Amino acid sequence: MSNVLEVNDVHVAFGGLKAIDGCSFTVEKGTITALIGPNGAGKSTMVGSIAGAVSISSGSITFDGNNISSLPTYKRAQEGLIRTYQISREFGGMSVLENLLVVRLGQSGESLINAVFRPKKSKAETNELVAEANDILNTFGLYRLRNEYASNLSGGQKRLLELSRAVMAKPKMLLLDEPMAGVTPALIEILGEHLLELNRSTGMSMLLVEHNLEVVDKICSRVVVMAVGKRLAEGTLGELRQNRDVVEAYLGGEVHERVGG
Amino acid sequence: MSVILGYVATILVTFFTYNIFTLGLNIQFGYAGILNFTVITFMAMGAYFYAVFVMPPANASNQVFYILGLHWPWPLASIAGVVASGALGYLIGLIALKRLRSDYLAIVTLATGTLLYGLSGDNNKLFDGWAGLFAVNQPFQSVANNNPNTFSWIFVVISGLVMLAVWWFANQLYSSPLGRSMRAIREDQDVVDAFGKNTFKVRMLAMVIGSTIVGIGGVLTIQYIGALSPAGWTTGETFVVWAALLVGGRGNNIGAMLGSLLVAVVFNEGTRYIPQVASNPNLVPDLRNIIIGSLVILSIWFRPQGVLPEKKAKFFELPLKDKYAQTFGGSKADQDLVVEV
Repeated sequence: MSNVLEVNDVHVAFGGLKAIDGCSFTVEKGTITALIGPNGAGKSTMVGSIAGAVSISSGSITFDGNNISSLPTYKRAQEGLIRTYQISREFGGMSVLENLLVVRLGQSGESLINAVFRPKKSKAETNELVAEANDILNTFGLYRLRNEYASNLSGGQKRLLELSRAVMAKPKMLLLDEPMAGVTPALIEILGEHLLELNRSTGMSMLLVEHNLEVVDKICSRVVVMAVGKRLAEGTLGELRQNRDVVEAYLGGEVHERVGG
Repeated sequence: MSVILGYVATILVTFFTYNIFTLGLNIQFGYAGILNFTVITFMAMGAYFYAVFVMPPANASNQVFYILGLHWPWPLASIAGVVASGALGYLIGLIALKRLRSDYLAIVTLATGTLLYGLSGDNNKLFDGWAGLFAVNQPFQSVANNNPNTFSWIFVVISGLVMLAVWWFANQLYSSPLGRSMRAIREDQDVVDAFGKNTFKVRMLAMVIGSTIVGIGGVLTIQYIGALSPAGWTTGETFVVWAALLVGGRGNNIGAMLGSLLVAVVFNEGTRYIPQVASNPNLVPDLRNIIIGSLVILSIWFRPQGVLPEKKAKFFELPLKDKYAQTFGGSKADQDLVVEV
């Protein structure tokens, strides 16, 4: 199996603070890989630098065989690399359905001439996208809210919207920055199953930043552990639970007995 | 009677041109969230360039100076004026849109506008300085000279038709995927960027389209009046257009129209009838600004989205197919769950 994502000796510094200090790992094509680590380990910065929001000072990031380290954010997304945010960032003044419609690339009505003078073609396209978007919204339990302004959704619903919008973009790989944050336990389980099903049915690769180890255990085949800007360890969650460094760095001494024991 | 007819025509032309300005600003701010604080500069750009393309070469013996003086026919000169304001929009966009957003962008537009205002006023070789251009060739010149009322009504029809065309264009754009991208950028530019859209390009499009439309209004203004000096496009004029859009409802083209009617016609024209105070000639214009300012404050206080807020998009939808409604990978994804979220 080939790697869809290769992070190679990446450094990111904010002034004097080394947020990422020589981190390397890979994500195999078609897998869900977890990225875990204590707060401040550099996970979100890593997601940001893969997606292009944070520029790296050295190292390289390869996506689907291409070095994307110096590509602007939007070109990385065009390659099929789509991210979600740790804090939901919905398009508040637009309806839930429109939030999904806007993200699909390659719509003919995105060119000015087509938008103004060939609305028929663009409308037919949009109608198809509406049907597709409604299916996705239904999957994530948002169908009934499709005509609601996104800003009116609850915190948990916004997490669902964040995910459904990313799915609508049809990515090759999803970067999920704590998608379960602020979601009720019952919903976490369902979201996890959705992600797993999505991965199985479409082969979409995912890198999942997550603190909930139950979810990681259930859906991730591989886990990368980061601490203080470096990769600490890599393996299955089972293997990592036996790893003293990981347990100490991530879970602290107290929890050691319960988890590591 | 003919005085009233002429006045009504002028009011209508004022309304139509202000509506064109407001629609242009709505595309920039209401759609794409670009804070253009120098709307009126684009109006002046369109007007001046129409003038210098349509007028004969400047006659130095009259102490009137301006560039070009190509004496083109008015339809071609109109196009030149519109293109010039669009080009200015592009240039300001290059400086302002690449790295800046929101308030910083607003500062750049305001500064550029002030710069151009000073430049065209202090440099009398460009557009005749503070005196401004006058006796600008109008369309149907002979009608304008001999029969001003007929000219006014011809112009009501022309500006009305142009306004309708702009209106149609703005609505087509709004409901298109391009318009949707613009509105998404208004909501959160970074996210749109992260979904693979070239947000600089989309914002630049909004900037240039808006500037071009405001330029169209500028060309119509000078064609109707036949003159323009810097006193006619002070920074304050920009905020009349802003007031119209904010009061009417940003993002809503009918709101923009209502706003131009309320602010540009009812308040701007209505306050003309307050009797002049001889000892204080500035009182009435100041009063007008106070009224418009208060109107903006009140409308933002009580109706922050404007009198007519942006409408929610509606789509043609087919009912969901049953198989989707039931299962997804074995798990029930029914909508009752949402209630618990």
